[in-house]
Amino acid sequence: MTLDLLTTHYNYYAVVLLLGIGLYTVIESPNLVKKVIGMNVFQTGIFLFFITLAYRSGGNPPVVTEGAGPYVSPLPHVLILTAIVVGVSLTAVALALVVRVYSEYGTLDEHTLEELYHD
Amino acid sequence: MTLTLIEAALLVFVLGCAVGAALLKDTLAAVMAFAAYSLGVSVLWLVLQAPDVGLTEAAVGAGIMTVLFLLALSNTTSPDVDRLFESVGWRSAALVAGFVVLIGATVPALPTIGDPNSAVVGGEVSQYYLENAYAQTEVKNAVTAVLAAYRGFDTLGEGVVVFSAVVVTLSVLRREVVA
Repeated sequence: MTLDLLTTHYNYYAVVLLLGIGLYTVIESPNLVKKVIGMNVFQTGIFLFFITLAYRSGGNPPVVTEGAGPYVSPLPHVLILTAIVVGVSLTAVALALVVRVYSEYGTLDEHTLEELYHD
Repeated sequence: MTLTLIEAALLVFVLGCAVGAALLKDTLAAVMAFAAYSLGVSVLWLVLQAPDVGLTEAAVGAGIMTVLFLLALSNTTSPDVDRLFESVGWRSAALVAGFVVLIGATVPALPTIGDPNSAVVGGEVSQYYLENAYAQTEVKNAVTAVLAAYRGFDTLGEGVVVFSAVVVTLSVLRREVVA
């Protein structure tokens, strides 16, 4: 039963693991740059969920030509294309804030920052 | 679809790189692990028949993102690296394990991978785009047709997000020059 699920839902289990790894990095890593990396890993996990949902056995890429069907679903691909670009924008803003924090406080360590903030 | 060898290898590679990015103490090493991770993911998109997403991920995710991280690193310092990996924080690990079990419990409710009758693949909306995209927009690539025509306002919103991100990034970084 469990093995059966693993062979038919393996990508979804990878999604769950990626979400876990991303969340762990965001919570646990004291370094601000690594928190941004964790956020991106979490995001990619969700992308994998969408692209897996769009997949169809024996399907071709959704470029419509005579007799090339069946195709995988194009809609999740579009949503994820948008999400990738938005993700990069988010990363750029987050890293700009990180650089600014460093130039103000001289550290990227979460715990040191907390101490400096309370002093 | 059954699990092919190439997809199994890709999933293992991607998960390994993610763990590396999470646990490597040196930030430069973590960024490199993340770049390898993005590249692995973009190949995974090709295996899942999503070439448009794969190209974007390779150019933007593995390319531009890595440049952004390296720029940020060159303007900051790396923490003192006394050992290769960070120690695992057990409290966070327990919390994340709870989260993983909770989300993992919902997986059996999802349709089988590659099921042609699932709500997404066999649904009305997907079929409408595939059947009418060429007749209505004269674009053969259904992804481009949906992106630029059917959901054009979404893409306009995406442009607004990118524009705001550029404005915010510049204003955050410029303030120290002005003030």
